[in-house]
Amino acid sequence: MRDLFRFLYRIRSTLMFLGLLLVSMTLLYSSNAHHKAQAISSSNAVVGTIFTWRKEVTDYASLKEVNRKLAEENASWRNRHISTYTPMEGLFAKIQDTIRQQQYRVITTKVVNSTWHKPKNYLTLDKGTKAGLHGDMGVIGTNGIVGVVSDASPGFASVISVLSPDIKTSVQMRRTGHFGLLYWDTNDPLTSSVIDIAKHARIAVGDTVETRGGDGIFPAGVTVGVVETVEDAPGNNYHAITIRLSEDMTRSGFVYVVEDLHRLERDTLQLENERP
Amino acid sequence: MIVTVLANFLRFLVLMLLQVLVLDHLDVLNGYMVPYLYVLFLLMLPIELPAWAQLTAGAVTGLTMDYFSSTPGMHMSACVVMTYARTNLLRLLAPREGYEFGMRPTLPRMGIAWYFTYAGLLILIHHLWLFFVEVHRFDSFFGTFFRALLSAAFTFALCLLAQFLTTSPDRSRR
Repeated sequence: MRDLFRFLYRIRSTLMFLGLLLVSMTLLYSSNAHHKAQAISSSNAVVGTIFTWRKEVTDYASLKEVNRKLAEENASWRNRHISTYTPMEGLFAKIQDTIRQQQYRVITTKVVNSTWHKPKNYLTLDKGTKAGLHGDMGVIGTNGIVGVVSDASPGFASVISVLSPDIKTSVQMRRTGHFGLLYWDTNDPLTSSVIDIAKHARIAVGDTVETRGGDGIFPAGVTVGVVETVEDAPGNNYHAITIRLSEDMTRSGFVYVVEDLHRLERDTLQLENERP
Repeated sequence: MIVTVLANFLRFLVLMLLQVLVLDHLDVLNGYMVPYLYVLFLLMLPIELPAWAQLTAGAVTGLTMDYFSSTPGMHMSACVVMTYARTNLLRLLAPREGYEFGMRPTLPRMGIAWYFTYAGLLILIHHLWLFFVEVHRFDSFFGTFFRALLSAAFTFALCLLAQFLTTSPDRSRR
């Protein structure tokens, strides 16, 4: 018995090494499912603050581009505003429109840190639970989708980028309505793949891919990208489609976080259906 | 003693900030090569530090990196592997009469041959582990291997540069 203890004492550093390795491997494997709350992420307050410092410095370099984008977007919203429409018939005054109701709410946030050259990419946003952010909310940019919020602290949120194989977003072809999944396996920050679209669907190069909606994360019809190549490997029932992402993930300044206001209602209903 | 602790803590802070604020955003060849200079902190820990303290320092350093890059366990495992290798490598590379007390594992102090073996091997171990855990598969083995190799060379060059810039041969006590 004493020999055993002496032996254990002699290899104590190896034992400690194995213990620490086990801890890190547990962290590594328990974090793979993205919807689980991640304790270790850049939504941590200290980390977020340090990234904010950096952003305050680097922001000046991209001001011109950000301003141009915002002006373009303002113009497009202005075009849709009620005051730019003249009524065709003046008989009815709509005081309370009960035909439509708001389904999505949008929160503007700034990206304080982002990566795009790693096998799994993340963004950090400068707003958190205090601004109403929580996990599983969609994030869209000016031109297309950006990612899904994975975790939020009071002041910051971390987002799994679409440049990560951890999320698969439900998308469809704007022209034909065939739907598949957006899955990033190209390892290139400008492109992504669309999988699970059956071969009988006619997909042309140049077709627009948009979100399908209905998952409670993204609204339907948000642009994702444009089909670049379609390949049909023999023996495979699905197209291999590569698309060019419309949002330039290497330069996201401001992004919008989308909240589905009816999500709870729909999720409750779906849960009741699943119950035996 | 207290000066050594403070110097190491300061080195930790400076290297960590340099890593997350500058080096992580350095897109060399579209992110093909990523230097992880923060390992220099672990390389420069005092030689006589007990193994448990080295391993703890490695785990904490890796975990801090993980917080910044949202990669739970990835840097931590690489750093723990590296510090464990360091405890054994220091024993293997010890001079015949043993290390002098207060000897620092730096290039001007230990000589080129010793330092290249020591730092080169440890950085390579760290980067190989890190890059393979990051891609999490072996199918493009040589692609990942060369990525790790080139990044390790980059990190090593930065380590040398950092030492030439900060230590002078006569003042390399701490």
